Amino acid sequence: MNNTRPAHTIEVYKWHLRALNNLYDIEQKLAAHGNPGNAKRNVEQIKEIFVESTQLFYEDPTGKPFSETTADLEASITGIGTENLTVVEVIKPIVRLGNQTFSRVVQKGIVIVKSQSEGKD
Amino acid sequence: MASMINFGIDLGTSNSLIARFDRGQVEVFKNPNGFKETLPSIVGFRKDSILIGDQARTYEERDSKNVKSRFKRKMGTAETFKIKVLGASKSPVELSSYLLKELKTFVHSGEDVDSAVITIPASFDTVQCNATREAGSMAGFKTVVLLQEPIAASLAYANKEKNVDLRNSRWLVYDLGGGTFDVALVRIVEGELTVLDHEGDNYLGGTDFDALIVEKIVVPELERRGSFADLPSQLKSESGRLNQHWIRLLRAAESAKVELSAKTGAEIDLSGPQGLVDDEGALIDGYLNVSRSEFESLIKDRIEETIDMMKRILLRNSLQPGDLKFVLMVGGSTYIPFVRKRVEEILGIAVNTNIDPTSAIAVGAAYFAGTKEKGTVGAQQKNQQVSPLKIKASYPRASRESEEIVSAKVGGDTSGMHYRIMSADGAYDSGLKKLSARIIEVLPLREGAFNLFTLKVFDAQGTPVLLDVDPIQIAQGIVDVAGQMLPEDISLVTDDLSAKDTKLECLFKKNAVLPAVTKKTVEVARTVSQGSDDEILILVVEGPEDRHLSTNKQIGNLRITGKQVTRDLIKGTEIDLRFQMSESRDLTVHAYLNGTGQEFSQVFVPSQRTVSSRRLASEILLLETNILNEVGDAIRKGNLETAEDLERMLKDVRTLAVEAVALTEDDVTDKKFQLEDQKRRLAQGVFALTASKRLDQAKAAYQEARSEVCDLVKDSGNDRERHLVSEIRAREQIFMSSTSPAKIQAAIIDLQRVRWPILLRTPDFLIGMFKHLVDRRASMNDQVQAKQLVENGKRAVAGEAWDDVRQINERLWDLMPAEEQASEELRVYTGIV
Repeated sequence: MNNTRPAHTIEVYKWHLRALNNLYDIEQKLAAHGNPGNAKRNVEQIKEIFVESTQLFYEDPTGKPFSETTADLEASITGIGTENLTVVEVIKPIVRLGNQTFSRVVQKGIVIVKSQSEGKD
Repeated sequence: MASMINFGIDLGTSNSLIARFDRGQVEVFKNPNGFKETLPSIVGFRKDSILIGDQARTYEERDSKNVKSRFKRKMGTAETFKIKVLGASKSPVELSSYLLKELKTFVHSGEDVDSAVITIPASFDTVQCNATREAGSMAGFKTVVLLQEPIAASLAYANKEKNVDLRNSRWLVYDLGGGTFDVALVRIVEGELTVLDHEGDNYLGGTDFDALIVEKIVVPELERRGSFADLPSQLKSESGRLNQHWIRLLRAAESAKVELSAKTGAEIDLSGPQGLVDDEGALIDGYLNVSRSEFESLIKDRIEETIDMMKRILLRNSLQPGDLKFVLMVGGSTYIPFVRKRVEEILGIAVNTNIDPTSAIAVGAAYFAGTKEKGTVGAQQKNQQVSPLKIKASYPRASRESEEIVSAKVGGDTSGMHYRIMSADGAYDSGLKKLSARIIEVLPLREGAFNLFTLKVFDAQGTPVLLDVDPIQIAQGIVDVAGQMLPEDISLVTDDLSAKDTKLECLFKKNAVLPAVTKKTVEVARTVSQGSDDEILILVVEGPEDRHLSTNKQIGNLRITGKQVTRDLIKGTEIDLRFQMSESRDLTVHAYLNGTGQEFSQVFVPSQRTVSSRRLASEILLLETNILNEVGDAIRKGNLETAEDLERMLKDVRTLAVEAVALTEDDVTDKKFQLEDQKRRLAQGVFALTASKRLDQAKAAYQEARSEVCDLVKDSGNDRERHLVSEIRAREQIFMSSTSPAKIQAAIIDLQRVRWPILLRTPDFLIGMFKHLVDRRASMNDQVQAKQLVENGKRAVAGEAWDDVRQINERLWDLMPAEEQASEELRVYTGIV
């Protein structure tokens, strides 16, 4: 329907994002359950390939503070408090397009946040 | 200024969208943050800001006193929503106006959105309609035209399928969204689309299905696999131990639901990356398979409810399903095949899925808007170029901090105005804040990046106010590191097999800002046997990347020998290299050998540059030999001036050689560094003096290769090969007139690519090669096999069986010892390519 797209619209293939989300998941699982055969290195290689070929890279927001001004995260709050929130679990990472000097968010991170004022589980 | 409204808004109960009609096409605008077309219809209030959409949704469940949703259903009632943090109440009209203002910000074209068609449910009465219109004018729309949602969906369909004749027909619009369900009977009466009847349920939609998956499938499975006391409340309660998993599982269920629309099965990761532990501390691991049929039986009852509503409509209007032309499916949940199938089964008529269920209503509204003229009331004042506000912002242009305070003085009448600061990369949004005489904001900065923020001010109607203020630009960690730039290119030396030389591959460009990190994957050029003295050399040099190893300054090397590797490093094995340069220009090299899984690393500190006295002496001697050759060459070619210059250099090199030889290996002075510098400068001089010679050589080599290949192609080439050669020749003028020998070399390689296949078809070449291999038989690895092959080869030559000769040659070549194969082809210096 929209064959007259505005020039500045950013087009990112959905499969790129899906692949990166899965890669992030692999990375997290390796970190949590050991790293057999140094598989993390392969993850790094694939990340490199994405950067070189598509300028896409992801960021792990784990531990990042969250407030109402955070626009690169879509958060769900766990626990009771809503102040002093930080990311405790990442369902999807933040995906950015660009380079070190300037990049922009093309996928918001989907995260679970929790108030640090509460005790831990 | 366009006289048509053009903008259509789906002001939904759960989600809202905005679209524009432009020259026959409709574009649905995306949220500048997150790129979704939909804006969750949720508004939240914090101490000093207003959150809209996704940001508000975050706080919805935990802070219901300050976050409001589903207010659309209360439009036109006297009911208001208490907002605790404000100590005041907001009406559904006010809350809707916030959504409308937010949707205006989706319009990236910068045009003034002063009129819109806004959709309403078929069930809205006059009071509710007026309330919607009021929300529109509160949001700054001068003209608001209302349109019923089923009509909008039908318009989207009619505009997509222009050839379908809808006259004298009736159809149902079945709208099952994220949180609400509506069904309406539509027909064309006297040329106009009209809603005849409708039904709905305000609490039935996709999110209910997600919760059902978790409650009815995932929770019982978790209880089977682990030991939990009251798992549902542990998950659902805000203070429950597993509340975090409840949210994650809902998301996983949503993904599974979407996947099940396309596949017959989907997996749910039970524990997530961080692991789910039962009450006894055991980790619940693994995936749960959810089949489409399981999911269908789960939602069956809820779907039946929607079907009952459709039946009631038909009954009330004395219609048979056969009287309907189709059922038009709208809303994200109609992607579920079961929904389509059940509706089809029960009614016995086709469901129509030809329009995008998510955006259909906004698209239909935009089509309608494209036909509606704007009202003349309150026409905009044109060309109002002067900003009513004077804003002066102050902030540091560069910072090393992770956040910076930006303050701004605002002059002029700010009453009723709001401001908003957003980052250009989409990571920060201050939300709408009340504007006063001074703005103070703490903005987060992205490390090592150029951070760009825009400040916008909106009047009481949500219309942007013209400002004379530049974007806020703060460079984090960049500008104030002057002096930390790299003065020269830093390159890795690798073997250039075709040129039998080395080449440079740039790692860090001149003027790169430090610290910097880069990675490179290289391959082992020649097998390094375990325990042997074979080695690979990771050599890093500083100097222009288009120069040569000999002219650039070596800043470090890392040797990996056969004695260090745990097994043979086979030719072609990849080595992952990571180079890290600190601000003080220490270079750290990490090498990971994929073949053996070993990791080596070394830090090269410029102040401790390793120059071996012995190695320096031998390099100087090598340079001397090179210059001698060049002098002889120059004299032969009559380039006497060059020869003279070279001889002067030769003298300097000899002086240098004497000094270098006198150095002991453990010399502690910086003499050897000085000598190394002098040697490098001389080598650069030689490189410059002989540049034209190398160019001439390359040109001559090209001419020679071309004449040989042209003859070959003429005699034995095929059409494709002829085409390839003419293509190379067509480029000739460009590369022959360049000053880069490398470009000419590349053309020679292209010619050789044509040459080989032809040669391998040529009897003379095959015979010559066979004879050459027969002469080397004695050194071959398997004498018995070699003998047999030679016998067969002779027979093949005699019988002119050229294919056989070619194969025999290949097999004989494989019997040659690896070193000899290599010696024919390449000279390895670093051992990496």
